[in-house]
Amino acid sequence: MQLEEMKTLWSEMSKEVEKQKSLTDKLIIDMTQERYTNKFNKILIYESIGAVICFTAAIFLIVNLGKLDTWYLLTFGIITIIFLLLLPVLVLRSISRIKRLNIATNNYKETLVGFARAKKELLFTQRLGIYLSFVLVLVIMPVTSKIVDNKDFFTMEHSAKLWFFLPVLFIFLFFFSRWGYKCYKSITNSAEDILKELES
Amino acid sequence: MHRKKEFIQIVKENEGIIYKISKVYAKDIEDQKDLYQEIVYQLWKSFDSFKGEAKISTWIYRIALNTSITYLNKQKRKGKQVSIDFELLNKVDEQDLVLEERMNILYAYIKELNVIEKGLILLFLEGKSYDEIATITGFTNTNVGTRLARIKQKLKNQIKK
Repeated sequence: MQLEEMKTLWSEMSKEVEKQKSLTDKLIIDMTQERYTNKFNKILIYESIGAVICFTAAIFLIVNLGKLDTWYLLTFGIITIIFLLLLPVLVLRSISRIKRLNIATNNYKETLVGFARAKKELLFTQRLGIYLSFVLVLVIMPVTSKIVDNKDFFTMEHSAKLWFFLPVLFIFLFFFSRWGYKCYKSITNSAEDILKELES
Repeated sequence: MHRKKEFIQIVKENEGIIYKISKVYAKDIEDQKDLYQEIVYQLWKSFDSFKGEAKISTWIYRIALNTSITYLNKQKRKGKQVSIDFELLNKVDEQDLVLEERMNILYAYIKELNVIEKGLILLFLEGKSYDEIATITGFTNTNVGTRLARIKQKLKNQIKK
C-alpha cells in the first residue's frame, strides 16, 4: 500500500463514515452528562482514599504525640507525621497538574509537552513514595507500639512473631517496589522519548 | 438552550472526525467508546471558549487530539458508558469487505506510530494543508514537512516488511 493509496483509502472511508451518522441529540446530551458525573478517574479516587487514610493517621499521631516520651520516639513520631502529610499532597498535586492541562487552548505540541512533564513528575513522586515506605515501616513501628501499647520498642522484649513478620514484610515491599519501579520506568521512558523528539 | 442546540448540531456534523480520531488512539473497541465519549464531553466543556476565530473543524481537531493525548495510558475508567452503536460505524460498508480489510490494515500501520506521528499523519490523511496542520499542532510549517517526510518513510518501511 502506497501513501497516496492510503490517502485515497482514507478519503473513501471518510465518505462511508459520513453516510453512517449514528449520533442523536439525546445520545450527545447523555454522553456529556454521564461523563460529567464520572469525571473523576480511578487513579484520583485511589489516591484520594490513600490521602484520607494518611491524614487520619497523621491526626491520630499529632493528638497522641505527648505519649512519645523519649527523644528518639518523638523524632520518629515527627518523621512519620511529615511522611503522612507530605506524600499524599505531592501525589495529589501531580495528578491535579495533569488534570489542569488546558485542552481547550493548548495546541497539540503544548499538550504533549505538558502531559509528558506532568506524567514524569507524577511517576517520580509515586516512586519516591514506594522507596519511602521502607523507611516509614521502620519508623512507624516504635511509634505505634508506644502509643497503642505504651511499650518502648527498643527496650521491650519482642515476640517471635515479629521476627517472622518483619522479613516477610520487607520481602513483600522489595518485590512490590521492584514491580512498581519497572512499570514507572517504562512509562517515564516513553514520556522522555516524546519530550526528546519534540525538542529535536 | 440555543447554545446547546448549536453544540449538538456541530457534534453531529463532525462526528466522523471524532470517530476517526478515537479509532486511531484507542487500543480496543471499549477504549474507543470511552475516548469518543470523553472527546464529546471535552468539546462541550470547551464550547464556551470557542469564539469562532478558528474554523470549527480546526477547533474540533485540536480538542479531540489533545483529549486523546491526555487519555493515553490513563487507567481505564469504570464509569458508566453511553451505548454508542460502533458496530454500524465499524462496518465501513457491508458490501465492500475488501475496503474494510484494507482500512483495518491502514489503522494497524497508524497505530504502530508514536503519539506525535499519529496526530500528524491523521491530519495529513484528512487532507489538511501544512498550514492547517501547523495551526492545529503548534509545529512550524517546515517542521510539519520534515516530520511528515520522516513518517512517510517509516510507513513505507513498515509496509515493505
